[in-house]
Order: sequence, then structure tokens, then C-alpha cells
Amino acid sequence: MTANNTPPAVRLEGITKQFGDVVANDSVDFTLDAGSIHALIGENGSGKTTLMSILYGLYDQSEGTIHVNGEERSFDTPRDAMNAGVGMIHQHFQLVMPMTVLQNIILGHEPVENGLVDEARAREDIEAISTRYGFDVGEHLDTPVSELDLGTRQRVEIVKSLYRGAEILILDEPTAVLTPQEVEGLIELMEDLRADGRSLIFISHKLDEALAVADDITVLRDGNAVGTVSASETSEEELARMMVGRNVLFDSDARETTIGEPVLEAEGLRVIGDRGLEKVSEVSLSVREGEILGIAGVQGNGQTELVEALTGLRTLGSGVVRFDGDDISAMSRRDRIEAGIAYVPEDRHVEGLVMEYDLVGNGLLGNQTIEPFANGGFLDWEAVREHTEEIIEEFDVQPPNPDTEAESLSGGNQQKFIVGREIGHDPDVLVASHPTRGVDIGSIEFIHDRLTELRDEGLALVVVSSKLEEIQKLSDRIAVMYEGEFIDTVDPSDVTEEELGLLMAGQRLSGEDEVSGDGMTEGEMSEGGVSEGRMSGDESSSGVET
Amino acid sequence: MSVVEYASHRRVRLVSLAAVTALAVGVVATVAFDIPLDRIFTAGYVARSMEMAAPISLAAIGGLYAEKSGVFNIGLEGFMIFGAFFAAVGTYFAGGGGAVHAWAGIVFATALTTVLAVLFAVLLIRYKADQIVAGLGVWFIGLGLAPFTASIIWGSRNSPRMPGVGRLTVPGLSEIPYLGRIVFDQSPLVWLTALVAVGSWVFLYRTNYGYWIQAAGENPEALDTAGIDVNRVRYATVIFSGAMAGLGGAVLLAHSSSFIGTGQTMVDGRGWLGIVAYLFGNYNPLGAAAAALLFGGVDMLQGQLQTLNIDLSAKLLGLLPYIVVIVVLTGWGKTRVPASVGEPYETEE
Amino acid sequence: MSATDESGARSLLDRVSDRLLDATVLERFGIALASILTAILLGLLMVAAAGYNPIIFLNNLIVGAVGSERVLARTLRISTFFIVTGVAVAVAFRAGVFNIGVQGQFVVGGLACAMSILWAAPYLPSGSLGGVGLMLIGTVAAAVSGGLYGAFPGVLKAYADANEIITTIMLNFIAIGVVSWLITNPFREAGSTNVQTEPLPANVGLPPIVFGESGFSVVGLVLTLALVAVVAVVMTRTRFGYDMMTSGYQASAAVYSGVDAKRNVVATMSFSGAVAGLASALFVIMYQGRFLEPASIHTYGYDAIAVSLLAANNPLAVVPAGLLFGGLNSSTSYIQIYSDVPVQLIDGIVGIVILFVAVPELFRMAANRATTGGEDE
Repeated sequence: MTANNTPPAVRLEGITKQFGDVVANDSVDFTLDAGSIHALIGENGSGKTTLMSILYGLYDQSEGTIHVNGEERSFDTPRDAMNAGVGMIHQHFQLVMPMTVLQNIILGHEPVENGLVDEARAREDIEAISTRYGFDVGEHLDTPVSELDLGTRQRVEIVKSLYRGAEILILDEPTAVLTPQEVEGLIELMEDLRADGRSLIFISHKLDEALAVADDITVLRDGNAVGTVSASETSEEELARMMVGRNVLFDSDARETTIGEPVLEAEGLRVIGDRGLEKVSEVSLSVREGEILGIAGVQGNGQTELVEALTGLRTLGSGVVRFDGDDISAMSRRDRIEAGIAYVPEDRHVEGLVMEYDLVGNGLLGNQTIEPFANGGFLDWEAVREHTEEIIEEFDVQPPNPDTEAESLSGGNQQKFIVGREIGHDPDVLVASHPTRGVDIGSIEFIHDRLTELRDEGLALVVVSSKLEEIQKLSDRIAVMYEGEFIDTVDPSDVTEEELGLLMAGQRLSGEDEVSGDGMTEGEMSEGGVSEGRMSGDESSSGVET
Repeated sequence: MSVVEYASHRRVRLVSLAAVTALAVGVVATVAFDIPLDRIFTAGYVARSMEMAAPISLAAIGGLYAEKSGVFNIGLEGFMIFGAFFAAVGTYFAGGGGAVHAWAGIVFATALTTVLAVLFAVLLIRYKADQIVAGLGVWFIGLGLAPFTASIIWGSRNSPRMPGVGRLTVPGLSEIPYLGRIVFDQSPLVWLTALVAVGSWVFLYRTNYGYWIQAAGENPEALDTAGIDVNRVRYATVIFSGAMAGLGGAVLLAHSSSFIGTGQTMVDGRGWLGIVAYLFGNYNPLGAAAAALLFGGVDMLQGQLQTLNIDLSAKLLGLLPYIVVIVVLTGWGKTRVPASVGEPYETEE
Repeated sequence: MSATDESGARSLLDRVSDRLLDATVLERFGIALASILTAILLGLLMVAAAGYNPIIFLNNLIVGAVGSERVLARTLRISTFFIVTGVAVAVAFRAGVFNIGVQGQFVVGGLACAMSILWAAPYLPSGSLGGVGLMLIGTVAAAVSGGLYGAFPGVLKAYADANEIITTIMLNFIAIGVVSWLITNPFREAGSTNVQTEPLPANVGLPPIVFGESGFSVVGLVLTLALVAVVAVVMTRTRFGYDMMTSGYQASAAVYSGVDAKRNVVATMSFSGAVAGLASALFVIMYQGRFLEPASIHTYGYDAIAVSLLAANNPLAVVPAGLLFGGLNSSTSYIQIYSDVPVQLIDGIVGIVILFVAVPELFRMAANRATTGGEDE
């Protein structure tokens, strides 16, 4: 891009990083031209974050050199990197929730006067940065970060880097938690920063975004740099091929299913979240036999709480949940499992599996009162083992050894095992929360196929996901959740990704000609409650990539 | 600013709970036993309650620093035992019966417990010890080794009589009725404790180091990426907590007449009271000190009632602080614990 | 000898030591052994520093534990108490609940056992059948009261979020104070200067097999081992045990699987407290024949924490750990008589054992260094 003599802002040569036997980066070369935006794309686990963590001084490279502005550097700590003008906005925001925005921004770089933090000076400096780029962060300086929505938190992160004098900014999957509209705002901001002479590295696995914002694009696959191309001379197809190493089919099967009676219904649900705020307001839904209801939405809009209320993990504030026509609002989690409500949880490391147990021990999880595994309080481990072996075989869990500890399985295999176990209950309803998060492509296809098969066999399914492709591919109906409400329910074949994005951002589609799901009340506009994202969930979700 | 909101909210609850407790005690006292309250809440009683509260406050402030930074120092009780014991040893070998020897003992005890706290911090942070188990270990070591060494030095688990530090009397002002005795005719160690409480509040909420401590306990990664060594912060707070608990033990000794090494030793659960005090005070040094004062007051009530010849078994009255702790913990379970307490922090793995 | 040979040998050693270190059972055993040996070594150093002869002390330690039949009976007797209280702790710790209150549950259970037997005695025949009946009553009373005294902090934790470490310690102080007051006042033996209850009737007691009138009965040991077996089966082969263990490993997964977390905490604490109560029933029936000033009873409930941790909270492994602590403790009586070394040292050694058990990393690194020749990362 730049043809003049300024040295590149960053030049990485032959970077190799090993974690034990795993090679996360294998002799990677990467060059960021000064004053440009360079996208670094690749699948989850391809080594993008590792490479950037090396540049930022979080990891030491096993081999290779780093040049910043033409000088060879070696960063032992992030502080060294910051002193050299390199800043990083992490995928999981590095913010201290109960501390204020101001305290977060200056953390580690506090101006000190007579031994005390000089808040007034910090305030001036931050406001100067805010006004320069038109940030709204200046208005929230005394608000604890926990009360901000995800988009604002991200801007706090960016201001934090700028406050620390970053000339080179690394943004690690910055769009993952944003609505499409917020993404646009971020792209504009990135362009402003470039216009101001800063250099940016943009990590993503979304091809369209990389094409839209970047000058150059480098593709990583399995820890190798597959190639660097100019954004103006490439296409989504070419990038996808580079990323995956083969042609990708974006297929979607036409479905012809017979839809039966309602199995799981909810009416007027209100659910209180962990911090005492109402996270679900007046939600009604109905799922019928042979149908997949997709619930779309940006993380933290009440999906977690809704699912927990349906599966019996969280008590209702008010409203009714019905299963096969019976009111189960007060039914315990245990009884709901036995009644036939299966649940693939949001976070397999925390809920779905006991990491220290082997697969047999995990095969019993949730089944501990069900015959033949349990008999009058006593357990039949032989029966559990047989069942576990069946799951392993049917769901192609690798390695196929029931004595393997759950934690030594890859994310995809862990997830396949959970799906297998939950289906093994022979349920009437399956609630699946982010069923393919942090899972490799092969397993994603496998899990998607199994879910549609179950639908075809007459099961009622609820699938929650923040991945639009997944929601559109699987669902028969899509309910979009925003600030605790179903803002709309749409037919996947009638709606574009852009429209879904608008809905996820809380904007109703003009012209109320969309189908409204049966039994769904429109609900009034959100009562001005502060949207507050849940960080805990997404933190562990994409933890696969180190 | 929610910190202020938090604080005011908490203060309301703290004050109201203390008020309710006091009122309950008052009602029981007047109705059931026909006790004249003015003869209980004398200036001497309040002053002695403050003396009792000082060791608990110090341990509590130390403990809350450690926990704010992400390390649960459950060994406070053990460090207090060591502090009291070392203070007795220091005073004894300083060889004399004056206040200056008592002060020497306090300095000696604080220095030595600091050394022990360094070792403890290395086990917790460098070697990632289980914080709960290791803390219990420290308690048991204190319970065993302090009386053991006492027996070797004095031929008995209890020490001979030790001098105190006396009172800091401001001429004139100490003549003010009621307040004079409490404020201007008070143990210098109570003053020291008040100074530590205020100082550690300012340090925690107004200095950059205080920010780091809070961040280390809430989101150590954020602090790490800001370029601050998380474990260094934690070393500092754990060592500080041990030193403060040691100082607390030493203060306890200075306010008593001799070291007692029988049973649960003279510390007798005050380290545990310290933990409850900072939970009750919501990790705020001033709140913790106020809670400690409540415990000190309850503790001294026993003696106060006895001087009035009120016939309640001393054994049962002595249990009052423990009962208050359970009531407080039960009615106060909602304290928000820092998010990363108990998790060792590693930079690269 | 080329460099590659050397690194090859190094990596082989690494692999071997890895394998050894991976074998978790072996590793835990090694850590337990290393903790004890290091703690005893430190104890001997202190003995030496205090001006006594550590060799004689060590000799006293061994002779005092297993040196004669009389001493051995004492060791076994104390060991049974450590084993049962150790199992009580292990159950709770396994489930992720820190029951530090075994001492209090023991004291409450012991008083309940003695008093229920004393109260029921007039209504039952005086023969051995009546004795068995009384012992059953006493045992049930001890288990129920210990269980309830454990359930209380369990309820406080489950429904009021009160930290069980602190509440159980407070309840220990309270139990000792209240029981002591009860024995000093209403329940005191008539006309006695000692703080103790009336003695139990003559038909209450375990038959003195093998060891005679030593306060230890082989029957007691058999009952203890049977209890260990029952608890081990409960933990590994029942739904209740699976729910408890799963809660201990990963509470959120247990809740996901349908465990009612609150009820599980209460159940665990009740179970643990009931086992502690059984320990005190054994203590009262087999050994004391009455209940006495609780402040003077050895702190079995606290040492049981060390026993359980040493056994990696495995009920079966509690048996050897309990025997070891029984021996250590038994020899304190001997040392008290035959040497000048203050016996509180043993308590200190127990504390050091706990401290070391908390830091497996320390021994792992030491082992690594030893096997690979000192050049680790």
C-alpha cells in the first residue's frame, strides 16, 4: 500500500510459538504498513490471537524477530509493548467491572500528584481524546464499567489504548460482540484512526468485514500464514478458500416437515438475572413437534436467563411455562430432566461436563435418577459405561475411549458428547444454547445435521445462537431477543441478514408485515432499562483460541 | 458514582444493624434483668471496647487488603497468635517492665510475623498453595508452636506478667466529661489503629497502588495487560496482611497482662472475628474498623455486666461475640466477594 | 557422547518422571509421605534447637506409639477416633463444603450420647441386651445431634450465603462453651469435683477383646472399618454420593444435572456431622464411659482436617492416615511422661503437615528437580 520510505509499523519475521507439543504459530511472517489497516483472518484456533499476543508481549515467541517502526524489539511484558506504542484491544475486554471508566482507562498509567491519583488531570486527558474522535466515553467517566453495554465497553478499551499512547492498535475480533450497526460505527472509527496516522491490525474471522475495512489481508491457517493479499484485489471466495483450505459450500437444505402440537410453551415470562435486574421481560413462546425455534440476539440480551428459566435452572419472576400442556413453572430441574426436557448448555466447561471426570462419569451427568443407571439410589456403573460407549460410537467422539477425562477432549468432541448424552435421554424437547460455539467446522456440520434430523423425527427444538448463519440455517422460525424481549419473530426465508441485524440492534422493521409468532405478544418498547451485557458467558466461550 | 452509592447504602445497613443489635441488648438488659444502661455504657467501657477492637481491626484491615487483591488469607488467626507470642518474647527479652519494652516487643513481633508472612506468600503465590488449607495450617502451627516455645522459654504455656504501653493522656482535654476518657486518655495503640484504618482507606481508594490492588482481585488479566505485575501486588498485600495480623496480636498482648497459650490461646478467635469484620464492613477499611468496634463492644460487655453483679454465667456470656458473628454473617451474606479470589494468576501458559 | 544423546536421555527421564508424576494416586501418596517426613524433620530440628536430643525424641515418638501392647492399644483407640472424624471431614471436603466444625459436632454428639443413655437406662433391663439397646440409643442420639449441629451451618450457607468456614469455627467455640456449661451445671455428676457427667451404666461398653481394659476394643475398630466401607460405597456407588462429588468438583455442572445445590449442601453437612457424631459415640461408649469437660478433650475434629487432607479426602485412605495420626498422638502421652519436650510440638507438626499438603506444587517441583537433574523451567 505505502510506497514511500517509512518503515513498516510492524514487521514479524519467522515467528514460531509452541505450547508444549502444539505449534500455535509456525514461522509466520507479517508486515503492517504504517498508517494502514491490516486484517488478520482465520478460523478459530488458527493462531491469530497467539501471534498478536506475542507482538503485545503477553507471550514470548519460541523463534523469530519483531520489528516496530524499523527497530528490532523484544517485549517481555505488555508494558514494554505499550512503551513502544503498541496497544491491544482484547476479545475479552480487559476491564475491571466494579471500577469506573476513568479508573479503568488510567489503570497502570495513573497520573500521580503528591502520592494520590490526580483524577482531574486524567479527566482532562481523556476528554481531549474523546472529543478528538467523537467518543461518548467522556460522559461515562464515573460509571462503573459493569453498567455499560458491550459497545461502550469496547470504546472504553480503545480510549484506554489511546490514553496509553498507542500508535499501533491491535483489535482482536472486535466485532464479535457488536450488532451490525455498532460494527459500522466501529469501522468508521477505525478509518478515523487511520486517517490520524495510526496503524491498525484487525483480527477477524468474518470475511466481509475484513474486505470492508482493511487495506491488506493476511490469512492464517493452522498456525501458518497462508498468504497476504490486497483487499481491493481479492474476493470472499478466495479468502474462504485460503482460510479453510478447500471450497466451502454455504448450503441450506430445503425442509419439508410436518409440524405437530405445541410441546413447550411459555407465557409472559419475567426472569431476574444474577445481579437483581430483570433480564427477561414478558416473553412468550411456543415450540411445536418437528420444529426448530431459533432465538437470535446479541449476547447478554436475556437469552441465557430465558433458557435457564425454561430448563428449570432459574426460578421465574412471573409467567407460566407449560410442557405438553401441563404447567411446569414450579417444577425442579431434576423433574424437568425426567419429564423429557433436554438441554445442551451454553458453556460446556462450566455446566455440560465435569472436566475431571472421565466420559463414563460424564455420561451419568443428568441421568443419575434414571433407570437403568440408577436403581433405588444405587448406581449401575456398568449400564452407564455401556450407554457412554454408545454415545461415543454414535457421535464419533474422539478418542473413542470412555476412560478419557473430559478435559483432554477437544471442544468439538466435548460438544458432540454432550449433544449425544442429551439426546440419549430420549427427550421431547431439546434446548440447545450456542450448540457450536468454539467447535471445529467438521463438528459444526455434524451437530447441525443431527439437530435437523431430530427435528425431522418430530422433536421440538429451541436453538439459541448469536451466529446469524447458524440461526438462519437451522430455524423454522426466528425470535429476535433484545433487552429481554422478543422484539419480533420472523420467518428465516423472508428476512435478510441485514434485517436480522437491525432487529438485534433493537430497531423494529418498518411496516409491520412480518409474521408474528403464535402466542407471542409484541410487548411494549423496552422500559429504558440499561442494557448490560453479560461477560462471563462469552469469556469462556471462545476460550479455545489462545 | 456507584462507589459512593455502595458506600452510603452499606453504611445505612451497617449502622442500622449495629443499632438494632444495641437496641436488642438494651431491651433485654432493661426488661429482663433490670440493668441500668448508663452504668454499662460508661466512658471506661467504651474506651476498653476500643482497646479490644484495635487488634481485630488491624487483622481485618490486613485481611481485606489480601482479599481485595485476590488472595484469601484465612491464616489471620495464626498470624495473630504469632504476633501476640512474639510480642511477649520481645518484651521479655528486652528485659524490663516499662512501656518502652512493650513497644520493643510490638516492633519485634511485627517484624517477625512479616518474615513469616513472606514465607506464607511464597507458598500461596509462587507455589499456588490451596489458600484455605494453607491458612488453616498456619492457624494450627500457631496453636501448636506458640505454646511449645512458650513452654521452653517460661516453663509454662503462659508468660509472666508483661508491661503495657500505658495511655496517651492529653492534659486538659482529657478532663472533658465522657469524651475525654475515650479520646484524650486512650491507649496509643488505639490511636495507631485509627491511623492505620484511615491511612489504608486513603491508600486503597485514592492512590494508584490501591487501584492495582482492586484490579488484581477483580480482573488480574486487565492489570497484567496494563503492564502491572499481578503477583507482585499480591505479594505485597499478603505480606501486609500477615504483618497487620501480627501487629494486631502484639496490640492484643499490650492491652492484656500476659501471654496465654492454653486452649485457643489468648487470641481466641479474634482473627476469625477479623475476617467477619471486613466482610461486614464490605472490604472497606473504615467499615471493617467499625465492625471490629462492634465486636470489641460485645466482647467487653461480659466484664461490664459482671462488675454490675449481674448473674449470667461468664462462660455463656463469653460466647456472645461468636453468636454475633453468626448473626452478622447470616444477615450479611450478600457481600460481593472480589471476582478472582482464590485463583492463582499465571501470565503465560 | 554427543549433545543429542544427552538431550535424548534427558527427554527420556522427563517422560519417565512425567509418567510418575501423572500417576495421581501414586503422586498423592508421595506428597502425603513427603509432607509428613518434612514436617517431622522440621519438628526434630525444633527439638534440637530447643536444646533436646532429637534422636531420643524420635525414639520416644516411636516407642510411645507402638512400643508395647498397652501403648499399641492406646494408639489404636486414638486412631479409631481420628479415622471416623477424618471420614466426617472427607465427606464434606469431597463435596466442596468446608466443614471445619467436626469438633463441635463431636462435642454435641458426645453429650447427646451420654445423656440419652443416662436418661434411658432406668427404662431398659440391666443385662447385656439392655446394654446393647442403650448403646444403640446413644449412637442414634449422637448421630442425629451431630447431624443437626452440622445441618445448621449447612442451612446458613445454603439459604443465607454465610461462609461455612467461619460459621463452623464459631459453632465449635459455642458448642464447647455451652456443653461445658451444661456439664458444669445441670448435668454434672452429683457430688463430684470434676466437670463430668454421671458414669454410664455398667452394661454399656464394648467387650474388651485382645487388649483388655485399655479403653480400646477390637469391636470398635471393626465398627470403624465397617463405617469407612459404608461411606466409601455411599460416595462412589450411590446417587447421593455422585451428587456430592459432582458438586465438589464442579458445582455448576451438578446444578445443571438436576442437583438442588442448596439441599445438597445441607445434606452433605448433615451427613458429615452425623459421622462426627458417630465418632463421639465411639469415644463415649468405648473409651470414656461418660462425657467430660469438652475443652479438655483432644481436638480430634481439627486434626481430622489434617487426616482427611493427607488422605486426599478419600474415605479409604483415611484409614492409614488416621493410624499415623493415632500413633503421633498416642506418643504425646509417653513424651509427656518420659521427656521434657513440650508436647504442643506435636500440634505444631500437625499444622506443618497441613501446610505442606496444601502445596503439592512444592513437592512436584522438588521431584522434578530430583529426577531431571535440576534444570527445569
